[in-house]
Amino acid sequence: MPIWEARGTEEEMMLEVQNLMVFFENALALNDFEMEVREGQVVGVIGSNSAGKTTLMNTLSGLIIDMRIKEKRRGGQRITVYGKIVYRGEDITETRPTERVRKGIVLCRERHPIFPESDVLQNLRMAGYLRKKAEIRETIAYVFDLFPALIPLKSRKAGFMSGGEQQMLAVGMALVARPQLLLLDEPLLGLSPMMQQILVEAITHLKARSGITVVISEQFARPVLPMIDFGYIIENGMLTLTGTGPELMDNPEVKAAYFGV
Amino acid sequence: MLLGTLIYGFVNSAILALLAMGFNLTFGISGVANFAYGAVYIFSGFSAWIFLNTLGFPYVVAVLAAILLAGLMGLAIYFGVILRIKGMPLSEVMATFGLGLAIMELFRYFDFVGFRYTLPVFFDGSLSIGDVYIDYQRIIIGLIAVGLTAALYLFTNHTRTGLALRAIAQDERSALTFGIDPDLVGGLSMAIGCALAAIAAVVILPLGTIAVEGGYEVLINALAVCIVGGLGSTVGILVASVLIGYSQTFTANYLEPHWMMLVSLIAIAIVLVVKPSGLFSHQKELEERI
Repeated sequence: MPIWEARGTEEEMMLEVQNLMVFFENALALNDFEMEVREGQVVGVIGSNSAGKTTLMNTLSGLIIDMRIKEKRRGGQRITVYGKIVYRGEDITETRPTERVRKGIVLCRERHPIFPESDVLQNLRMAGYLRKKAEIRETIAYVFDLFPALIPLKSRKAGFMSGGEQQMLAVGMALVARPQLLLLDEPLLGLSPMMQQILVEAITHLKARSGITVVISEQFARPVLPMIDFGYIIENGMLTLTGTGPELMDNPEVKAAYFGV
Repeated sequence: MLLGTLIYGFVNSAILALLAMGFNLTFGISGVANFAYGAVYIFSGFSAWIFLNTLGFPYVVAVLAAILLAGLMGLAIYFGVILRIKGMPLSEVMATFGLGLAIMELFRYFDFVGFRYTLPVFFDGSLSIGDVYIDYQRIIIGLIAVGLTAALYLFTNHTRTGLALRAIAQDERSALTFGIDPDLVGGLSMAIGCALAAIAAVVILPLGTIAVEGGYEVLINALAVCIVGGLGSTVGILVASVLIGYSQTFTANYLEPHWMMLVSLIAIAIVLVVKPSGLFSHQKELEERI
């Protein structure tokens, strides 16, 4: 089964986030955030609601630049971003989101961001907007291979599917955009434990098969910590803890806050 | 009499569908209610006339140039005006309506008034069905309305750009995460909408004269069809065109022709009272928009 190759060499630095600060008007959403992601890693960002996970994902994917432009146009909230994001040696702090997708940074937004009025196949094709026809066909086959449950739903309107099915589709759509760096924003939110398991397995499988790099944000530490190479725990926009998956799992503070032990 | 009414009712429905198509497409994709729509329609009529008579272009070239010019005008309106106020429906309506008013009244100011402003028909002649005579131009209107509907369906469901348009229509921010640029697509939707207005103009205007007042009438008819059918819904547009089209023709033939204009206004009133979102749409913002 052919799948696109991630270009970078294993262990090389892929993404560096330096002194990142994000303000919405005067509210500080991210404060002095630092992060490193190496090629081929799965990196977790764990935090509770309003910790700044989504803001981080939007900043990494560049969505925040678009939000800033839109707010400015209509004289709304002032959004300010300080700091630096370096992707494969290139400063992308001010790069527009469409350009970042071209470079291989693809975000899967929280709460299954699918196009409800189009069917599954159309959804997948929409996601391949920037890719060649042959590539789209190839990746769609791969997505169906990864999530066989989607095959019988091919011509179902996406809005009529269950939350779990929508989330599988959302991850599939992000894959059709052929990411080098896949950003998953709370992919397990609102899913049953069984559905969570299917997604976790798919992500692990994905990593082994294509070598793409994944940054995953979650509130639930339990399903995520075992699969990550490195994790960042944030609270109120601040980094509180970092470490490898096993290190974090053994940490008493993490146990208390996220495992209820 | 009845057969004639049925045939002419169908042509009238086709005319309404052609008029509403562009307005509906722009709104459905970018959420912008383009109130300069009637002005673009009249602008295209006059520009085709100028290309044909003042500049002496061949007929086909003049028509294509007018359609292209309308598309460019749509882009200019989007990037020059709408982009600055995007997301504020009331401002969008006021700005486009003001712009449309200015365009139409400028034509009046420069004395584009009179019976000499007509476009030629595509083919001369007529056909008889039973004892009903119908000219080729009206048949062509029907064919083009059906053809354009099919073409638009294929375009939005089976091409990369068409799918991008639909993606933006459903969720702008998610579309952006796949590299689809909302500004680009919004501009495109405006350009296609205006080009469709121009197509309607060059096909329909040969039936009468190009008059500034026609612009207001076109806007009201397009609005009526879109409100009755439900803004943004293609099926709704077709059903509403047939409903209003036949009601207008029956009113004209069995009551009085000058009551025809009332039909669309009454249709708007009834639908806004009974089902404000339109027959085939779930657009909740409609009450706020119009």
